[in-house]
Amino acid sequence: MEKRDVIKQYHLPVEVKFCRKCTISNQRPRIKFDAQGVCSACNFAEYKRSHVDWQQRERELFELCDRHRKHNGEYDVIVPCSGGKDGGFVAHQLKYKYRMNPLAVTWAPLMATEVGRRNLDAFIASGFDHILGTPNGKVTRRLTNLALRYLGDPFQPFIYGQTNFPLHMAVKHNVALIMYGENGEVEYGGDEKNALRPDREIEDHDKHYFSGLSPEFWTEHGLSAADLRPFMAPPHEQIVHNRTTIHFFGYYKFWDPQENFYYCTENTGFTPNTERSEGTYSKYASLDDRIDGYHYYLGYIKFGIGRTTSDAAHEIRDGKITREEGIALVKRYDGEFPHKYFQEFLDYCAITREDFEGIVDSWRSPHLWERVAGDWRLKHVVWESR
Amino acid sequence: MRNVRLIARLDVKGPNLIKGIHLEGLRVIGSPNEHALRYYQQGADELIYMDCVASLYGRNSLREIVQSAAQDVFVPVTVGGGVRCVEDVTELLRCGADKVAVNTAAVARPQLISDIARRFGSQCVVLSIEAKQLSPGRWEAYTDNGRQRTGLDVIEWVRRGVELGAGEILLTSVDREGTRRGFDIPLVRAVTAEVSVPVIASGGMGKAEDLVEVVRQGEPDAVAMADILHYQRSTMQEVRRAAQAAGIAVRACEPA
Amino acid sequence: MSLPEVAVIDYGVGNLLSVRRALEHCGARVTVTAEHRAILSAPRVVLPGVGAFADGMAELRRRGLDQVAREVASRGVSLLGICLGMQMLLGESEEFGLTQGLGLIPGRVVAMNCAACDGRRLKIPHIGWSALILAKGRRRWAGSFLQQVRPAEAVYFVHSFTAQPSDPGHRIADCLYGDLTISAAVARENVVGCQFHPEKSGEVGLKVLRGFLRQ
Repeated sequence: MEKRDVIKQYHLPVEVKFCRKCTISNQRPRIKFDAQGVCSACNFAEYKRSHVDWQQRERELFELCDRHRKHNGEYDVIVPCSGGKDGGFVAHQLKYKYRMNPLAVTWAPLMATEVGRRNLDAFIASGFDHILGTPNGKVTRRLTNLALRYLGDPFQPFIYGQTNFPLHMAVKHNVALIMYGENGEVEYGGDEKNALRPDREIEDHDKHYFSGLSPEFWTEHGLSAADLRPFMAPPHEQIVHNRTTIHFFGYYKFWDPQENFYYCTENTGFTPNTERSEGTYSKYASLDDRIDGYHYYLGYIKFGIGRTTSDAAHEIRDGKITREEGIALVKRYDGEFPHKYFQEFLDYCAITREDFEGIVDSWRSPHLWERVAGDWRLKHVVWESR
Repeated sequence: MRNVRLIARLDVKGPNLIKGIHLEGLRVIGSPNEHALRYYQQGADELIYMDCVASLYGRNSLREIVQSAAQDVFVPVTVGGGVRCVEDVTELLRCGADKVAVNTAAVARPQLISDIARRFGSQCVVLSIEAKQLSPGRWEAYTDNGRQRTGLDVIEWVRRGVELGAGEILLTSVDREGTRRGFDIPLVRAVTAEVSVPVIASGGMGKAEDLVEVVRQGEPDAVAMADILHYQRSTMQEVRRAAQAAGIAVRACEPA
Repeated sequence: MSLPEVAVIDYGVGNLLSVRRALEHCGARVTVTAEHRAILSAPRVVLPGVGAFADGMAELRRRGLDQVAREVASRGVSLLGICLGMQMLLGESEEFGLTQGLGLIPGRVVAMNCAACDGRRLKIPHIGWSALILAKGRRRWAGSFLQQVRPAEAVYFVHSFTAQPSDPGHRIADCLYGDLTISAAVARENVVGCQFHPEKSGEVGLKVLRGFLRQ
C-alpha cells in the first residue's frame, strides 16, 4: 500500500511537542500551543474556570429557550445523542430544568455494543422521545471499507451521517434549534473561532469532518447519490428556511463529562461498562460502537495520540486526575490494540488482516515512528518528554 | 452467633478520598482523615484504606495516610494498594496498620502471601480480590484497581490464597461496586462456602437492607461500605441499628 | 497533677505505635523502650505483642527483657500484657512444641479447638468483636482494671491460641466464641493481661487502658 503523507494531509508540525499541562501532543490536527508550551484546550479549560460568568451564560440559555419553546406539544429542540452520558445530560436538563420539549436523535452505530444499546434503551425508557436513524446497512459497510482504505479511518462515513442527521430531523420536524453537548473543537483543541459564541455556522462541518474528500469521490466507487443522501446534509435552502441554528450546551453550562456521567447514572439509567475499553482506562466514555476502537487505533498510528492520551487529557483539564497520573496511564494503556472485536471488524469491512496491516503501515509517518528490534515504536512519548 | 463487622472503606488517591463506579470515574470526595475520624466516631468496627493509584505508579503513598489516620482512630486498620514485598508490610505495620491487603503483587507472585504470613502471621495478611462475573457461578479476578484481567477463577484463587496463608479475604465485586444495587450475593456465598477464613463483602451497598440481605444469604464475616457513607446517605449508627433490628449480630456500640 | 507514666516494652514485635497513641490519648506519658533501666524505673509497664509465642519469648530473652519483666512483677509494679503479651505472662505454650513463658500467671497457652458452633466449624483465628462477660465466680469488675467496662461491651480480638490460667481466680473476664469460653482478661495482683487489643477496641478499649492507668 502506498505510503501516506500524514504531515501534508493534516498540516502537522514536524517536531513533536507535548503540552506542559496535559498529555496531548501538537500532532492533534488544528491544536495550538502557546508560548509557554500549553495547548489551547488547557488554556480554554482555565478560561472556563476563571473568566466565564456562568450565571450570565445561564440567563442566556433561559432566553434562548424562551425564544424557541413551543407550547403546542411540538418538539422545540433537537438533541443529538447516542445513548451516552453527554446527550443524555443535555436532553434531561433541557426537558426538566429548562422546560423544553426535546426530540433526541441518534445516528445508529455501525456495530452496536450491548452496553451501548442498553444505555440507549434506558435513556428512552427514562422518558424521552427518540428517533434512531439507521442508514442502509450494505451502503454503510461499503462506505466504511472505502473510508478505511482511502482515509485511514473507518469512522468517517459514520461521522458524516452523525453530523447531518440532526439537520435532517430539524428540517423534517420544523425544529429550528439543535443543541449539542460541547463544542469539540473548542474543548479539545482545534478551531477556536467559536470559543466565545454559543453557536456555529452550519457550513463549518464540511471543513472539519470530511478530511478533504468530497462526496463525489464516493460516487466514483459505485455509490449513487441516493445511497449517499442520508449521510449528506439536507439542501442548504431547507436548512436556512427552517432557520436552523446549532448551539452548544457547553457554552451555557460548565462542561464536565465525568459529572455528566454521574448525572446520567442517576437520571437516565446510564450504566458504565464494568471493564475498561481497550486502549484506555475509561469505563464510561464512548461505549456504543464496536468499531470505535479502530478509529482510535488509527488515530494512534497517524498522530501518536491514542485513546488513553485523549481521555487522560480531558480528565487532567477537568481536574479529575493529575498530569503525573495521566502520563502513567498513557504509558500503561495508550496504543493497546483492540482485539475484542477485531475479527468482526474485518468481516464488517470485508478486508483481510493483511489488508488492515497494510493500511495501518501506510499511515505510519517516519517523523513519529521508528523500528526498534523488529517492533514499531513511537519516537516521542509523553513520559520521556521535557 | 458471630458479630458481623461493619467496616468503612476509604479509597484514596494522593491526598484525596475518592469514589467511583465499577472502580472508575473517580470523584474526589474530600479529606481521608476527616472522613475516617467521623466513621470511627459513628462506630465503625474497622477501617480499610486502599490506595488506588499505587499499582499504576509502582509505589504507594499509604505510609503518610496511615500515620495520620492512626492518630485518633482506635479500631483496626487495614491498608492496601501497591503492597509489593515484605519490606512494604514491615513499614506499614510500623506506621500503625494492623493488616495489609495484597492483590496485584500476589497475583504476580503468590509466594508473597506466604512470605508475609510467615513473618507477621496470617491474621495480618488480607487477600484482596476484585471479582467480575464471567457467567452465572463464575467470576474472574482483576488487578490494578479493576483494570486488568488475570484469567484466574476467583474460587480457585481464593482457595490457593488461603492455602498460602492469607488470613482474611476482602472480596470486592467490580460489577456491583459504586452502583448501590446491592451485593453480588452468589459471589459472596461461593467464596464463604469455599474458605474457612473470614470474608469481607464489599461493593454495592445502597441501603442498610442490602447489608441484611447479604449477611443472611451470603454469610460474610464482615461488610465493607463506602459510597453510602461518603455521600452521607446513611451513617454507621443507622446501619448498625438496622442490622440489629433485623436480628443480625453486630457489636452493640454507643457512638463516641 | 502530673501525667501517669508508662513504659511500653519494645522487643521488636507488635504494633507499638497504636499502643502508644492509645495510652497518650488516655492522658499518659509514654516511653517506648527496650532499655532495662527505663523499664525498671517506670511506675507502670505494658508488654504488647502479636504473632507467635516462641518468637516473642525468643525476642524477649535475646534482650534480657524476660528477666526485666519478671523483675517488674516481683517489685509489685503494675504490668499489663496485651494479646501475645498476655499469653507470655503464663507458664508455657504448646504452640510449635512446648515453650516456656514468663511464668507470672500459672497456666498454659493452647490452640483453640475448631469446635462446632451451630453445626459449623469455628473460624480460626478468632478475629472480630466479642462481648466481655464476667468470668465464672466473679460478681463485678470494680477494683480491677476493667472497672469502667460494663458486661457485654465488645472488644476486638485477633488470636489463634488462647490462655488457660490454672487458677480460675485469675480470670476476670471471658468471652464466648462458639462453644469455647475464652479467657479475655486475667489478673494476679499487680500483673494483668488482656487477650483483646484495648488500643483497637474503640471507646471500650480506652476505658480498659484508663482503668489500668489508675491502678
